[in-house]
Amino acid sequence: MNLIRAELLKIRSTSTWWIFLLITLPLWGLTLMFNGFQSAYLLSPEAAEGMSGEDAEQIIAAGDPANVAANLYTNGQFFGVAIVMLLGAIVVTNEYFHQTVTTTFLTTPHRTRVVLAKLFAASVFGLVLWVITTAANLPAGALIMGANDEASYMGDGTVWRAIALNGLAYLLWAIFGVGFGVLIRSQIGATITALVLYFAGYIGAAIFFGVLSDRFGDWFNNLQLLVPSLASQLMVSGTELPGNPPQWAGALVLIGYAIVAGTVGTLLMRTRDIS
Amino acid sequence: MADGQIVVSGLTKLYKNVRAVDNLSFTVEPGRVTGFLGPNGAGKTTTLRMLLNLVKPTAGDATIGGQRYADLADPLRRVGAVLEASSAHKGRTGINHLRVVCAAAGFPRQRAEEALALVGLTPAAKRKFKGYSLGMRQRLGIAAAMLGDPQVLILDEPANGLDPEGIRWMRDLLKSLAAQGRTVLVSSHLLSEMQQLADDLVIIAAGKLVRQGTVSQVMDSMAHTAQVRVRTPQATELTEALRAVEQATITPNGDGVLLVTGVDAPTVGRAALKASVELHELTTERPDLERVFLELTAGKAAIR
Repeated sequence: MNLIRAELLKIRSTSTWWIFLLITLPLWGLTLMFNGFQSAYLLSPEAAEGMSGEDAEQIIAAGDPANVAANLYTNGQFFGVAIVMLLGAIVVTNEYFHQTVTTTFLTTPHRTRVVLAKLFAASVFGLVLWVITTAANLPAGALIMGANDEASYMGDGTVWRAIALNGLAYLLWAIFGVGFGVLIRSQIGATITALVLYFAGYIGAAIFFGVLSDRFGDWFNNLQLLVPSLASQLMVSGTELPGNPPQWAGALVLIGYAIVAGTVGTLLMRTRDIS
Repeated sequence: MADGQIVVSGLTKLYKNVRAVDNLSFTVEPGRVTGFLGPNGAGKTTTLRMLLNLVKPTAGDATIGGQRYADLADPLRRVGAVLEASSAHKGRTGINHLRVVCAAAGFPRQRAEEALALVGLTPAAKRKFKGYSLGMRQRLGIAAAMLGDPQVLILDEPANGLDPEGIRWMRDLLKSLAAQGRTVLVSSHLLSEMQQLADDLVIIAAGKLVRQGTVSQVMDSMAHTAQVRVRTPQATELTEALRAVEQATITPNGDGVLLVTGVDAPTVGRAALKASVELHELTTERPDLERVFLELTAGKAAIR
């Protein structure tokens, strides 16, 4: 408990957290704009016109108002979890960058506890960001739904499940971030690698699977679940989309990655020389 | 207070193929300032970091008051350490740096203010660390080490970056802490500083123990290097008289002064009397710590 308080104080006592919030804000606005236009398109009756078979099916399913609402209420996830991951990494790499790790481990020789406190503190930050974006998404999303002559769907179970799973995504990405920071101690190295893997992995995997799934079929397409950024997007889709794995599978994959990242990070920290 | 003896036994650290610390054993007693001396690269920092569970020893162990650091229930209440390559977040204020440590160690919040006052940093409490001078940073490190009012203090090169006034402040602080019965272990390569500060010495070179003991014991162990200074108007006659004494090495130093090593002053006096040589001065010059240190560590190059 003391350690968690200390780790939270570490985050609060520097300007990192509000700089991160400031970065998140415009990115949130950007995705809201994009999602606003996309919603209007998906909700319009002519969205699936001129398409055939499976594609039309997908578009119609995505155009389900409950799904559109879920997408709006989880808006900002794409950049939000990246920010959370960065903070998680910095929570660790900061200690090496500013050489505070010596003091930290002198105060607490049981390093496992330190890593756990860091995981917890980063998760708290992730959840705070989730609460803030969700609080902003609810009125903004309701407005967009209203503008398209749809109900707000705020009473809908699938919508709230998507919002809850979105929270889980923020939490899990915070844990990835900490794991990343342990693996790559250099501040710049860890943040840049994490960002490149996140964005390039997302785009690269999307292209990779888009091209190859036609040749290998659906089972191969389902493998994109193994790409963390795609898995977390899948997790927050409101309704099940045809041709896509179920949401819970995305959650399972992310939890698996988080456990691996957390465990590897802890084991590495325990044996590493601090000099 | 609990016994604050530090015992290092058979400590060894291998980095790749280099023996940074090689089967090192020594003890540090409470109530005294112990200087931990060695040239750069001798393994001082590695030894201290192994003692504090920051670096894993390849072999051997080190205990503080009979326990390994990792096993101490309340480490900051037992041991305070100021290490090199240890710092604070540049964007965090001095007081917040100490508050973080207080939070993690479970100390009350006001300990941070008290420790800051102890090192005279209260006026800079709310300044960010990046605005601290080298001396202020060193003081903040000491404040952090004193948060738990520990029985044992371990400092790695604390005088680095301090101005003469800061060095004096540090010396007085460490002496008074030792006088209170605390164990104070200070590493340094500044010998003149140690001569004024330390009661005991542990000298290492190339990762190995060279000498351990009180300052005077270490000096005495090097007594054979003591030289006799003798001044006479009949330098030539005296030189001839001393030639008869086998071990003597004579170096003329101008103005009738001869520096003689290998024999003691009475021997020189007797030789002069026998040869009826007039003497104007006859003194034993003890080597200073600097010379002892250089002789003890000579040839054990720092770059390995």
